[in-house]
Amino acid sequence: MSKNIAIFLALSALLGFFNANAEIVNTNVERTLDLTSQLVKTTTRISAEDAAGKAIAEYVFFVAEPSLAYIAVKDSADKNVQVRKNDEQSFTFTFPKASAKQTFVVETVSSKGILPHPEEIRQNDKQFVRYIGNLHLYSKYKTNAQKATVKLSSSNILSHTQVKPYSVSANKITLGSYENVEALSQEPLVIHYENSSPFVTVNTLERTLEISHWGNIAVQEAIQMTHTGAKLKGSFSRYDFQKEGRSGQSALKSYKTYLPASASGVYYRDTNGNISTSNMNSGRDFIELELRPRFPLFGGWKTQYTLGYNVPSYEYMFSDGNKYQLKMHLIDHIYDNMAIDEATIKIILPEGCSDIKLSPPYSVSRLPNELVHTYLDTTGRPVISFTKSNLVESHISDFTLYYSFSKISLLQEPLLVSGFIYIIFVITIVFLRLDFSITSHSHKD
Amino acid sequence: MTVDVGGVARGLLTWEKQEHLVKLAILILAAVLSFATRLFSVLRFESVIHEFDPYFNYRTTRFLAEQGFYKFHNWFDDRAWYPLGRIIGGTIYPGLMVTSAALYRLMWLLNVTIDIRNVCVFLAPFFSSLTTLVTYALTKEIHSTGAGLVAAALISIVPGYISRSVAGSYDNEGIAIFCMLFTYYLWIKAVKTGTIFWSAMAALAYFYMVSSWGGYVFLINLIPLHVVALMITGRFSHRIYIAYSTLYCVGTILSMQISFVGFQPIQSSEHMLALGVFGLCQIHAFVDYLRSRIPKEHFDLLFKTLMSSLLTVVLVVGTLLTITGKVSPWTGRFYSLLDPSYAKNHIPIIASVSEHQPTSWSSFYFDLQILVFLFPAGLYFCFSKLTDSNIFIILYGVTSIYFAGVMVRLMLVLAPVMCVLSGIAVSHLLAKYIKSVDAGSSSSKHGGVESKRQHKKMEQQTGGVKSEVAIGFVGIITLMLIVYTLHCTWVTSEAYSSPSIVLSARSHDGGRIIFDDFREAYYWLQMNTPEDARIMSWWDYGYQITAMANRTILVDNNTWNNTHISRVGQAMASSEEKAYEIMRELDVDYVLVIFGGLTGYSSDDINKFLWMVRIGGSTDRGAHIREKDYYAANGEFRVDKEGSPTLLNCLMYKMCYYRFGQMYTEGGKAQGYDRVRAAEIGNKDFELDVLEEAYTTEHWLVRIYKVKDLPNRGV
Repeated sequence: MSKNIAIFLALSALLGFFNANAEIVNTNVERTLDLTSQLVKTTTRISAEDAAGKAIAEYVFFVAEPSLAYIAVKDSADKNVQVRKNDEQSFTFTFPKASAKQTFVVETVSSKGILPHPEEIRQNDKQFVRYIGNLHLYSKYKTNAQKATVKLSSSNILSHTQVKPYSVSANKITLGSYENVEALSQEPLVIHYENSSPFVTVNTLERTLEISHWGNIAVQEAIQMTHTGAKLKGSFSRYDFQKEGRSGQSALKSYKTYLPASASGVYYRDTNGNISTSNMNSGRDFIELELRPRFPLFGGWKTQYTLGYNVPSYEYMFSDGNKYQLKMHLIDHIYDNMAIDEATIKIILPEGCSDIKLSPPYSVSRLPNELVHTYLDTTGRPVISFTKSNLVESHISDFTLYYSFSKISLLQEPLLVSGFIYIIFVITIVFLRLDFSITSHSHKD
Repeated sequence: MTVDVGGVARGLLTWEKQEHLVKLAILILAAVLSFATRLFSVLRFESVIHEFDPYFNYRTTRFLAEQGFYKFHNWFDDRAWYPLGRIIGGTIYPGLMVTSAALYRLMWLLNVTIDIRNVCVFLAPFFSSLTTLVTYALTKEIHSTGAGLVAAALISIVPGYISRSVAGSYDNEGIAIFCMLFTYYLWIKAVKTGTIFWSAMAALAYFYMVSSWGGYVFLINLIPLHVVALMITGRFSHRIYIAYSTLYCVGTILSMQISFVGFQPIQSSEHMLALGVFGLCQIHAFVDYLRSRIPKEHFDLLFKTLMSSLLTVVLVVGTLLTITGKVSPWTGRFYSLLDPSYAKNHIPIIASVSEHQPTSWSSFYFDLQILVFLFPAGLYFCFSKLTDSNIFIILYGVTSIYFAGVMVRLMLVLAPVMCVLSGIAVSHLLAKYIKSVDAGSSSSKHGGVESKRQHKKMEQQTGGVKSEVAIGFVGIITLMLIVYTLHCTWVTSEAYSSPSIVLSARSHDGGRIIFDDFREAYYWLQMNTPEDARIMSWWDYGYQITAMANRTILVDNNTWNNTHISRVGQAMASSEEKAYEIMRELDVDYVLVIFGGLTGYSSDDINKFLWMVRIGGSTDRGAHIREKDYYAANGEFRVDKEGSPTLLNCLMYKMCYYRFGQMYTEGGKAQGYDRVRAAEIGNKDFELDVLEEAYTTEHWLVRIYKVKDLPNRGV
């Protein structure tokens, strides 16, 4: 932490040097912390003004949570505000219109901010977790008034930081309001409470999109997930699990995955074959897939599976002559409040694609292009792949891939097949009609 | 195809071409049918490997496909038989794995990116298609084209063969039957032509057979037997001499390249017949040569002296070699072939396998149906017109029917010859009566004296059968064949298409319930135990655990080390404290048991338990385990209150029934009612001291326990 502070100080000194005249003050800050799931979701409404009456064009925002996954800012007119990342925990917002008073809402989602405490529980125990954060908005600027509302998953709160004024009602804690908080002031906020929702993290997601210009896109997701909540201590009793409702509350028994409404040919399997415990309900706008892992996931247990399906390409592919454009979700829904550590996305394009350009919705790290050879290929299909770490549900958005593909190449595969069959026939004819024997022998008939 | 097009263009096909077309169509249909009928389990469940042994083959094939042949050949597997390990490369017949890995590589070369598992699943059906074709070729060589076609059609659906070759049943037998018939075909070819080419081909096919199945021993005894029979019947000739000498020399040298076979072909007694006949061949040829050169009386003297001295030498050398151990002693499995009760009395581990039991009469009918009745008819037709190749098929039929009677498993060897002989019978009979049917129908069209005279003439030609009788006969044969088809399909669908790794049952409302507990447990092991965890289970599940859970196991289906298996049996049969000592000694981390008491799955570990007791007690260290301690006072094996206290307190009992005493399993029954044994368990309230429950599957089919560490000192 001290290292971070040192960086902050250095940074703020640097920024202060450039913006020496700017004297921004947070007039009012309202924070909402949603701690109901495994993710820390914060909504911070900040009203800021410049004491000197100057127009504010940029605002520096610090994030206290260690593992920030997602940040988005909207101004009072519900317009997106541009966010520039300075380092892991500091961001600069650039407002579309500079004015002396700015009101904006910052939304962040971070994973791994809530940790199980105790770290190991027995099967019938409840899962308690501890959140450690900042009581005040950790800000570069002075804050005149601020208030925080914390939403918890249950009313069973073991302890929490008690700095007056505060109030507790059921599963809600209201902290504040606190007046005149100095810039860069830090005071810990610790809440220890019951959270029975399963803390499940997807360690790796490998999403493969295989594009066929015959009208199909095959989607495959290979997922490895771990229950990162309180670890199971001692034995697992199937009897208790089946008979007692309070047993294994924080275990993951099943979850819902939403697929596109046009998905067909869904499969759910692992290295040992089909996992026969799943249900599919088709809705109007999506398909709801209830997946049950082979075994309930208790704390510390992990599992691995592959989910795949086909979607028609006309919904995602647009063309203009030989130019094509593919627009699909970069990642898709796996379960509610999901947290993905590392996602690798592979897009397999048809043979003969060129001028490939990827435009992702957020920054990703590209991997070198590859070639794969599969059914009826000659030169191989180009594969675009990239990775992104620490993703949450808010990251479900479309990427666009531009490429060109000549329609004549579409005929290559049927020609290959018919050519092959033709050659077989020709060879058969030649062999049946001609006599290849070296010695001459008398013909029958 | 070209024939077809050409014929249509001219409006009518010539007889020869029509016959060709019909022949091709029947063969293709039979081949496709034999593939398709084996897919029941894939359609009902999924493309999955079945049973136990196929999982080992699948695992080794995967290894071979990924790591290449040399790694495979030198593979020391530390995942099995802890702490001994197993040299896989030297203790298996690699033919199956090499075949599928080669197919897999070939397909990848052609950019057909198929999964190795699918290659394995569909290999057996593919090879049974090939078997269908080879059966045709073989029967055609022995008898006629017609018989070949019938035999091909019969073998494509014969349940005795399907039982070992459905999709997913990835075992040696799947390809071995093809290899065996192929070798026979080439051998018949060699006998008929007497050329080195065909006998060398036969030797190559024999090599493939040796590389794929231990059953090659049957083959290498049958062919010499054929040669001996030919000698006795005075049919020995240069053709046979060339065929056998080439086959034996080349085949033996090739077979010795398989490291698992090694020097057995010249050392073990099972191969001695082949060697002896080889020698006999040389002598016979030499004698023939001499006979043609010297006068008769000289020859007789020479023959007698030579014969007696040679027999003495052979006898002396044979006994010497057996005594010194150069010729290996007869192995247990082979003894049990000759004397079905041998294994049961001497080696519990062989007797405990259900496929090593003697065959019951009903299973002959179940697996072969009408073939059982057509078989003698086929034999009769073969006898009625003896040829060199007929003698072979007679010998094959007679010996294999004996072996099939000894061991259920060898039904597989019998099924093809049943089909061949039945094919001969059916084709012979049909050929005879169909002519009369034709005659009848053609004569009925024209009236008059002339046609009647013609009719009489024809009757005389065809053996004097009235057309009504002929029609009736053909009708009966047709009906029998139709019933055969229905029976075969029914047997395949009901009896041989269950993967046994996934169980299914009907619920009260008619819906299908799937018990996927085995994979659930194995996957749990794979995901949630340490990479090097050692799992103790009864040997039946060894292959599945290594393949699906990828964990180290103590004993597996290879059963090569009786004492090690016995040690595991002792652990299962002992009390907790005793078992803990054994488990510590064997470094066991987890114990896995199969328990069917909740679902009514009857082949669980409690029902196998007596075998564990017997095998456990069969070695010195297990002297304290006596089978009679596990029986109740009245001599029954019971798990309820009447059961013997030794049983109610042994490790296996405790692991199966831990906390089961609180479960309600069936309406109207007390807690802890075991649905397999139909009894309320006798020991309900107990805690485990040295184990803790690690995982139990949804339907309690598989229960996994963790062996606790030693307690800290002073606690």
